[in-house]
Amino acid sequence: MTRAVILLAIGLFTVASASLAGAAGITEGALMFRTAPGQAAVAAPVQSTDVEMRITGLVVRATVRQTFTNPAGEWAEGVYVFPLPETAAVDHLKMHVGDRIIEGVILERRTAKAVYEQAKAQGQRASLVEQERPNIFTTSVANIPPGAAIAVEIQYQQTVRYDAGRFHVRFPMVVGPRYAAGAPDAERIMPPVQHPDHGPLNPVTLHIELDPGLPVAGIESPYHPIHVTALAGGLYDITLTDGAAPADRDFELVWEPLAGAAPTAVLLTEAEGSDVYALLMVLPPAPAAREQTRVPREVVFVLDNSGSMAGASIQQAKAALKLALARLGAGDTFNVIRFDHTTDSLFFDAREASRQNLRAAERWVDAIQADGGTVMLPALRQALDGVPAPGRLRQVIFLTDGAVGNEAQLFQEIRARLGESRLFTIGIGSAPNSHFMREAARLGRGTFTHIGSPTEVQAKMTALFRKLETPALSDVRLELPGVPGADVLPTPIPDLYLGEPMVVSLKAGTLPTRAILRGRFGLTPWEHDVALHQAAPEAGLAVHWARAKIDALLDARTAGASADEVRLAVIDVALRHHLVSRHTSLVAVDVTPARPGDAAVNTHALKTNLPHGWEYDAVVGLGQGATDAPLHLLAGLAALLLAAAVGLTRPRPALARWVRRGR
Amino acid sequence: MAGRWTRLAVVALLALGVWQLGHGAWIHAKAQLAQYLLQRAWARTLEGEREVRPWPWADTWPVARLRVPAHDVDLIVLDGVSGRILAFAPGHASRSAAPGVAGTAIITGHRDTHFRFLEAVKPGDEIVVETPGRSARFRVVDTAVVDSRSAVIREADGPALALLTCYPFDALRAGGPLRWVVTALPVTS
Repeated sequence: MTRAVILLAIGLFTVASASLAGAAGITEGALMFRTAPGQAAVAAPVQSTDVEMRITGLVVRATVRQTFTNPAGEWAEGVYVFPLPETAAVDHLKMHVGDRIIEGVILERRTAKAVYEQAKAQGQRASLVEQERPNIFTTSVANIPPGAAIAVEIQYQQTVRYDAGRFHVRFPMVVGPRYAAGAPDAERIMPPVQHPDHGPLNPVTLHIELDPGLPVAGIESPYHPIHVTALAGGLYDITLTDGAAPADRDFELVWEPLAGAAPTAVLLTEAEGSDVYALLMVLPPAPAAREQTRVPREVVFVLDNSGSMAGASIQQAKAALKLALARLGAGDTFNVIRFDHTTDSLFFDAREASRQNLRAAERWVDAIQADGGTVMLPALRQALDGVPAPGRLRQVIFLTDGAVGNEAQLFQEIRARLGESRLFTIGIGSAPNSHFMREAARLGRGTFTHIGSPTEVQAKMTALFRKLETPALSDVRLELPGVPGADVLPTPIPDLYLGEPMVVSLKAGTLPTRAILRGRFGLTPWEHDVALHQAAPEAGLAVHWARAKIDALLDARTAGASADEVRLAVIDVALRHHLVSRHTSLVAVDVTPARPGDAAVNTHALKTNLPHGWEYDAVVGLGQGATDAPLHLLAGLAALLLAAAVGLTRPRPALARWVRRGR
Repeated sequence: MAGRWTRLAVVALLALGVWQLGHGAWIHAKAQLAQYLLQRAWARTLEGEREVRPWPWADTWPVARLRVPAHDVDLIVLDGVSGRILAFAPGHASRSAAPGVAGTAIITGHRDTHFRFLEAVKPGDEIVVETPGRSARFRVVDTAVVDSRSAVIREADGPALALLTCYPFDALRAGGPLRWVVTALPVTS
């Protein structure tokens, strides 16, 4: 019997639970789900999403409403795999059945699943929200009546990212197909993909209320046209110009404060019981000029040329890589590594950035095509294994969409092999795996950059070059004088590159009036006094801290802590703060039975779009099994026959005359 | 005057005919010729070398030898399924399992060159797939036409083989949505 693990879709795929169990139409040993051309299977539920976002200063509160409509004449269960921001703290689930609202409860993952399965079997309407990766979630909705709809409302909170003088909020919309060989849960993170010829699915509407809390010079959305209305009190109302957009790329909102209005420190606090939770953001000043002497570097570029990069992505990646090559100084050394399911490098080790070597690199990069699987591990090893010459800064620049399923294994590798190297990730394409980008850069003590369209390459790379060429603030510590036992997260605080603020969540009995931030630029120590009295009260900071705590606990596991202890600690924090995590899920059950006992329910894995700019055949295709040879041969024969006919049927054969004249 | 135009037309048609025939023949010639060149690379692969590029600028290498004795077929299979690769040989989809190990190995070929014979393959036919250090015998269990827009290949628990080509076999142009799939399972002795 075959496992119901769907690794390779020739195309898209709709199947009822009956055929998943192998009962309908599949002969013993056959590997295909057969849907004859033109013959429709039971229609799958249709999914649409409405997003409401309220952004207040640094805090985002979002409601994602997913509506599942069942067009079929039979009862349905829909399973939808979707992304959320990798730092989202999901803390509420509401199921809407007609006018009634059923509030979800947080339970240990296994218990929640059992509750859901039981409700499904008993014919009750139920929904379950599970986390597969920090940025991949699954909603299951059971017993959607024929011709009816069930709406599932998920709420999450996250913080705004501040970088290089601009504020950013990202909302991912589609999980790109991953190369999931080696991932034990491949089927949980790989939704079936809609063939682009069949038109887009899963429309999304967005409504954002932005309260930036400071005067704003400009608001933009680089990947979607938006409509911005200024409201009284410095607020903005933002919607998509086109109403709904297909869920096929990340949405990003960027706003820039007026010159001089940008904050250098922000403190938000929330009192809960006897504890104070706080969010602190501090922007360190740029290092003084004397620290800015250029250190020679060894730069290793790693280019992902797997199938998921085919199309727009590989063009963006090559353009970015060439800009970076041109930027290398005479004293620098470099190498380029490329990988799909194979790994190859330009040179054996890093070579001088001479004009000749750079030309060779350009030619080598030009010839690269995107195809094949994504086997990242050997390339990552090769990139991190080098030892830099003394006095040289070693920087690894990784250009990828992160379409992998074995993130944990890769993170482990970065942790083990980083040494003195620094890892910078550049997320390429319309829907990169942000969780991989952010976490790899954090463990690699570098930064991450997103490049979502060809027009962004120049600006984003220039910003990255400034970070690469300016010493980072490292060994960052936050001291809270007179407050012992404060829990400051993340720990350790990551290195801060030019334009990046320090952002920490903390939990303490009380807050001091000042904090001291210490670190060093290169070898030069640096410290900064932060006054803490101007704290603005803000709801929901406990949730941020809890989300950061769960990350820290899971991190401890990668570093070697006992899996069982970590699991229990995560469950404890998550249950207390009502959070979805790797070990806890939200479940909502409508106790009123809906489906009669004798009616069947069909399970549908809902399809997602292919991310914008991706090539279907390079990702889920298995090759084109034909050439145009028969056409060429036929056309050739036809042309010769026609030539003969024209030439020979003339009264004075043109051919003969022509031949005679030629003599 | 008319004669001159006719002459031109004849010359143009002749040129077109030769060009088109040449183009079609070249596709077949390349498919045949490449198999000879691949033999040497395959011999070196069997001797233990890895990723033996059959010619210096190749971006692929032999991964298996596919034999179907009943149809007198003996083909070297390359790594990957891009158009460049399938012009020379059938290709092994690099995302699928390696032939002979647990999981479904998928090999794609052109219906008008290497995989023309699949049209005549019947359940019960034997397929031998040789990879370095392993030779696996399969027996065809199923042949089917599927719509590539609505079908999937499942990952098998044990070794399994799926040979894939375009359908119908006599279509003039490439690019249709239908596929011919030959499924084979290991011969249990």
